[in-house]
Amino acid sequence: MRFPKPLPAAAGVLLLVLWPLIFPDAAHIQQVLGITCLYATLALAWNLYALTGAISLGHAAFFGLGAYASALLNHYYHWSPLLTIPLGALAAVVFAVFWAMGFRRLRGVYLGLASLAALEIPKTIVDNWDRFTYGSMGIMGLDRLPSATLGGLQVDLGMDLQAQYYLLLGIMLLAVLLNLKSIRSRWGWTLRAIRENETAAAALGIASNRERAKALLLSSYLAGLAGALYAHILGLVEPGLVFNLHLSVLPLVFCIFGGSTKVWGPVLGAFILYPLEQLCLLPLFPMGHSAVYGLVIILTIFFFPQGIAAWLPRAPKSA
Amino acid sequence: MWVGTPIIFSGLALGSFYALMALGFSLILSVARVFNLAHGEMILLSGYLAFVLWQFFQAPFFWLLPICSLALLALTLPLHYLLRRLPEPYGLNSLMVTLGLALLLQSLLLAWFSADYRLMRLDWPAVAIPGLDFSFLSFQGLLIILALAVTAGVHLVLQRTFLGKALRATIQDREAAQVAGINVNQMGLVAFGLGGLLIGLAGPLFAQNMYLYPAAGTEATMIAIVVTIFAGLGRTRNILLGGWLLGLTQSVAVFTMGSKWRELVSAALLLLLLYFRPEGLSLKKER
Repeated sequence: MRFPKPLPAAAGVLLLVLWPLIFPDAAHIQQVLGITCLYATLALAWNLYALTGAISLGHAAFFGLGAYASALLNHYYHWSPLLTIPLGALAAVVFAVFWAMGFRRLRGVYLGLASLAALEIPKTIVDNWDRFTYGSMGIMGLDRLPSATLGGLQVDLGMDLQAQYYLLLGIMLLAVLLNLKSIRSRWGWTLRAIRENETAAAALGIASNRERAKALLLSSYLAGLAGALYAHILGLVEPGLVFNLHLSVLPLVFCIFGGSTKVWGPVLGAFILYPLEQLCLLPLFPMGHSAVYGLVIILTIFFFPQGIAAWLPRAPKSA
Repeated sequence: MWVGTPIIFSGLALGSFYALMALGFSLILSVARVFNLAHGEMILLSGYLAFVLWQFFQAPFFWLLPICSLALLALTLPLHYLLRRLPEPYGLNSLMVTLGLALLLQSLLLAWFSADYRLMRLDWPAVAIPGLDFSFLSFQGLLIILALAVTAGVHLVLQRTFLGKALRATIQDREAAQVAGINVNQMGLVAFGLGGLLIGLAGPLFAQNMYLYPAAGTEATMIAIVVTIFAGLGRTRNILLGGWLLGLTQSVAVFTMGSKWRELVSAALLLLLLYFRPEGLSLKKER
């Protein structure tokens, strides 16, 4: 068959686009699903790097740096979030450059440990540089996302939850597209070759360190973008909030549960687990609801290590 | 008295505590090849158990040590059976499963004990050294003695017994050990058992030495990793050395820069170690 079957994906996207029009008053659900899109973007960012075989425990560093850089630009220069968000995400890329240089000889478990330790560096610096970053107090009162005028229609992205949901959904779909391009392309095969057997890949003339660094830089920019958006959606940043290890673990859980080698895997993981936690478990167990993520990692690795996306009807030629 | 003496002494006591925390991690890693990211949370679990026994049953401190050790032994042995069934790639999968376990334990601790900071407040008498203008808490002395004794014990088991010989063979080369007729799975069970006892032992000491709160485990895990990678696999005496070095570095860092930078010390040391020893441990490369 020449054409892949995009039907389930198209139906899913259509559902995500249409449901707020049918239930315009479900504000809380719109908010939760908006954040789900944001975390799915973070998970897709994590997945770009995971395609090279790396398990990162440090993506919260990218998220937090994006958030703080955007927040600081907004706080000190009063630039619009439309400008500070894409610029702030570059801070994550700068960190990723150091990461790529410092960790270039590390693989597997040791890369995971190093990334775990790497998270402490920006966290502790931001936490202690009181004069510049206001330390553990964080920065309050950031500008919310501005209003936009679309064909005579005024949309308040900062306050209107429905508009915010569509913005985050759009960004997530762009990230899905990037993920799709990275999996089903020549470059995707390069990354897969590095993941499966680096020596053999090198023998084929793949500059594995360079390609891995490319994936990391792309991944860090996307994660930084998610962090910067998060800062302006909440209107505040705090070191404990945006440099939280939880933000490194969430994308890992979503990707492993959803299926890291599938285009829609991370999105699927995020859209099943995060609403489950926020809408079902949070009211029942106000304190221990995060336990579900730990359980999900353990069960996934033991019983379906390919993730649930492996059960979906697969389009031919997908990897 | 020289101003540095108390800093060095408290650094040594802290370092002894770190060595005690790292011993169990190191044994489990070197024999069973499991990167136990839930190590810190297990120590916390033992610490909270000690806290509860002390708070509600007025258990004396020296009873807490064996009780907590046995309790954690009962936790790590089933864990070994679970982890043995992991699919390949073993290293990364064990890392992720124990990460999941860490998250699970952290949430459970949060649900049971809330996010409050807790500390066992026991009065330890100060000990003065006659002739010297220097005194220290007897708890600090206990930490140093305990670390020396436990390290010596583990060292003797590894070096002087037949079981230790089999354990060392498993650490050095799993396949060759198997060829020689050693049941490496059983050795893994032994390592998890000993590791559980040591983790349980570290719990009450943690509750006495540092604040208990559900997120405290990450730092403990980090410390265990730093000390273990510094020491290398199966080098028990180096663990004590590594613990002391880390403790001293942290004491000096806290004295000169303030306590907020303490957590960065272990992270920075880990990154430095990994930068200069990218294979992590001086053994076969593993993925």
